[in-house]
Amino acid sequence: MQNWFLYIDPGTGSYLVQVIVGAVLGVAFFFRNIKNAIIAFFTRNRKKEDENKTV
Amino acid sequence: MSNSTSHHPSSYRDPSGFVFEVGGVYYRQVNYVYQKHYDEFIKSNCYKYFTEKGILIAHEETAEIDLNDEACYKILKPEQINFITYPWEWSFDMLKDAALLTLQIAGASLQFGMTLKDATPFNIQWHKGKLIFIDTLSFEIYNPQAPWIAYSQFCETFLAPLLLMHHTKKPLQSLMLAWPDGIPLDIAKALLPQKTKFSLHTYLHIHLHSKIATKSSGSKTHHTKFSKQKFINLLSSLEILIKKLKAPDSKTTWSNYYDEAAQRDGYLENKKALVEEYLTQLNDVKTAIDLGANDGQFSKLLAFRKISTITSDFDATCINHLYHAINEEKEFNIQPLVLDVKNPSPSIGFNNKERSSFLKRAKFDLTLALALIHHLAIGKNIPLTMIADFFASIAPNLIIEFVPKEDEKVKMMLSGKKDIYINYSEAAFEKAFSKHYLVVSKKTVGNSNRSLYLMKRNEK
Repeated sequence: MQNWFLYIDPGTGSYLVQVIVGAVLGVAFFFRNIKNAIIAFFTRNRKKEDENKTV
Repeated sequence: MSNSTSHHPSSYRDPSGFVFEVGGVYYRQVNYVYQKHYDEFIKSNCYKYFTEKGILIAHEETAEIDLNDEACYKILKPEQINFITYPWEWSFDMLKDAALLTLQIAGASLQFGMTLKDATPFNIQWHKGKLIFIDTLSFEIYNPQAPWIAYSQFCETFLAPLLLMHHTKKPLQSLMLAWPDGIPLDIAKALLPQKTKFSLHTYLHIHLHSKIATKSSGSKTHHTKFSKQKFINLLSSLEILIKKLKAPDSKTTWSNYYDEAAQRDGYLENKKALVEEYLTQLNDVKTAIDLGANDGQFSKLLAFRKISTITSDFDATCINHLYHAINEEKEFNIQPLVLDVKNPSPSIGFNNKERSSFLKRAKFDLTLALALIHHLAIGKNIPLTMIADFFASIAPNLIIEFVPKEDEKVKMMLSGKKDIYINYSEAAFEKAFSKHYLVVSKKTVGNSNRSLYLMKRNEK
C-alpha cells in the first residue's frame, strides 16, 4: 500500500470489516444470482408460453 | 501573478494538492506526490470518460498562474462553480443522488484501473442544473489487493444520514452540520431502530461495521488481501441499500400552501404579473435568491429570464419536490437549497473557516422575499430594522411583499399569542427599509391587502 496517500483515516477496523463484509456479500450475491437465474428461467418460459398463446 | 493568493481554508487534508483562489478564480494545484496518479487519470481516459458523461468537473491545465511552489506539478483551472453548497443545505434526494454518483464513479473508474480515495458529499457540487463530482484529485490508481480506503468515510458521511432520515421519516440535515466529517457509526447505530439489524446491508455497513471498529480500536491495522470482485460487491451492496431509501415526505405545512393560496381569487396570478413587471424594470440581474420559495413558482419566472436563481426554503420536503421538478423539466437556472432564513447556515470547521456561512457566500443581484416578512417579524419577533439589515447584506435589488396585520395569515399567527407587535405596520416597514433601500415601485397585490415593493439599495 502507498501509505502516504492514506491521508484520510480509513477508520479503525475498516479493513477488517471490509474483509468480513466482502465474504458475507460474496455468499449473499452468489445465492442472489442463483435465485435471479431461476426466476429468469421460469419467466422466460412463461413469456414463451404467453407468446405462443397470443399467436 | 496576483499577490492575493489564498489557500482555500477547507483544502488542507490531502497532500496531493490544494485549491486556491486568485482574483476570484479558483484553481487546483497538483503536487508532485500525486503526479503518477494524475498522469494515469488522464492517460487512461478516466478523466475524459467522466467529463464527457458530464458527471465530473472539466478543467484545463494552465500556466497563467505560478505560485513558485517546489511541490507543484501542475495547476488546473476547473470550470467555476456558481454557488457552493453543503450537504446540510441539500434535500434527501440530493444527498441520495450524490451518494449514488460517488458509488457510480468509484465503480466505473475501476475499468480505467483507478478508483476514489475519498468519498464525502463535499466532493459534489451543483453545476449547470445538476450534481457533479468536483474533486479531480480524489482519483488514485487502483490497488487490486486493497479494500476501499474511503469505505468508512462513505458510510459516515452518506449512508448514516440517509438511513437516519429514511427510518425516522424526519429531515435531519442538521445532523450533518453537527458532524460535518460524518456521523460516527456508533451514534448512527444507537439512533437507528433495532429492526435495522435484520436488514442485511444495513447490518453489515452500520451495525457490524461499528461493532468491529469499536472492538479493534487500538489494534494494529490488518492488511489482508482483498479482491476486485469483493470491491465491486461492496459498492453494489451500498448501492442496493441506498436505492431503496425513501425521502421523508410527509405533508408539511407548506407543501400544499399554494394549492390553498391559489384559491384566493387571482392572488397568485396577480402577484406573478407584478413580479414580471418588476423584472422588466431591472437591468443586469444575473443572479438571484428566492427566500421562502416553497415550490419555486416565482423562481421559474426568474429562471425563464436566464437569471441564475437559488431557490431556498427551510422546508426540506418542498426543496425535495423542487429538486425532482427541475430534474424533470431540465431547468438549469434553478439551484435548490434548504435554508432557514431565521437561522442561516453558519461557518464551521477548523478556524471556523472550512465551510462558509450562508451570508459569506450570499452575493446576489436580486432577492425575492414573497410572503416571508410576517414569518420573520411576527413568527420570530425579529425587528424590521434587523430584517432590513439582513436583506441589504445579500443583494442590491429586492422584490419584497409586505403582509399587514389585517391579513388572514397574520391574524391566524396572532390568534395564539399576545400582540406585542405594535411597530409592525406598512409605515414602519417602509421606514426600516429606507435606511438601506429606495422604493422604486409599490403596488397592491390584486384584491388582497398585501403590497409588493421593488427596492434598490442606496449605494454609498
